[in-house]
Amino acid sequence: MIFASSYSPILYLGPVPVYDHTVAQWLVMIVLGVTAFLATRNMQAVPRGLQNAWEAIVQLCYDFFGGVLDEHAAKKWTPILATFFLFILTSNYIGLFPGSATIHGFVPPTADWNTNACLALIVFFTVQISGFVAHGSHYLGHFISPHPAFLPLAIIEELVRPLSLTLRLFGNIFGHEMIVSFLVLMAPFLVPMPLVALGVLTGLIQALVFTILATSYVAAATGEGH
Amino acid sequence: MEGALAIGAGLAVAVGALGGGIGQGIAGGKCFESIARQPEIADQVRTLLFITLAFIETLTIYGLLIAFMLVGKIG
Repeated sequence: MIFASSYSPILYLGPVPVYDHTVAQWLVMIVLGVTAFLATRNMQAVPRGLQNAWEAIVQLCYDFFGGVLDEHAAKKWTPILATFFLFILTSNYIGLFPGSATIHGFVPPTADWNTNACLALIVFFTVQISGFVAHGSHYLGHFISPHPAFLPLAIIEELVRPLSLTLRLFGNIFGHEMIVSFLVLMAPFLVPMPLVALGVLTGLIQALVFTILATSYVAAATGEGH
Repeated sequence: MEGALAIGAGLAVAVGALGGGIGQGIAGGKCFESIARQPEIADQVRTLLFITLAFIETLTIYGLLIAFMLVGKIG
């Protein structure tokens, strides 16, 4: 039951139904895209305001991924990995808006497993492509690295990663949403507040965990040892 | 039947959280020990700890998802 969107679509684009979490994703994209556009529209050598904030975020991401990946790989793969972090963080925090439970299109997109499966599949293909870019056809060697008998295990390991990435993010955010909604039903005022505050922390940590895992997969694919 | 479903849903979280909780406790304790011994590697240890906790937590979250599925069948 939880693996199907239990609510009805809010609009149809031709034959394609559009659900709340899809609209929320558009909202996240607009927020990130518009602030990034405004920040870089009129760039100054000495940054101020929005440009300063975005430059700080980008610099923080480059420093963080530079610590996990080697220098060349960090430069190449930071844009997509940082996008995962910013997208998931903004998505998780969308549920903190007042009235988000009653307004359509204000559910966290990450509380629906379709969004997370999509993100995890992007990670899967990113990892494979980064391996091929770094090592060429030698990348395939790591599937049979100690002995060809390990080939099924290596393939299963690659395929289980998107599954566990999906279920981890989905379980955490969906579970948090459910617990808050149970508590709101039982005691609508003040009592759910500590749990909502905990949601701020959960959202940040889950975005960080997803990104760190994706980074370590890319690091394993691009690193030495093939 | 519904009673069995409810007991199963409770057990799925309880047993899952038991193992995961013990594992996370050990991992966190060892992390603090190593940081106290060598404060300069705190950043590296923290990153590794987050990855480890995420892996352990995933197993508990599987239990939670199963519980949600079972509870959904009751109603």
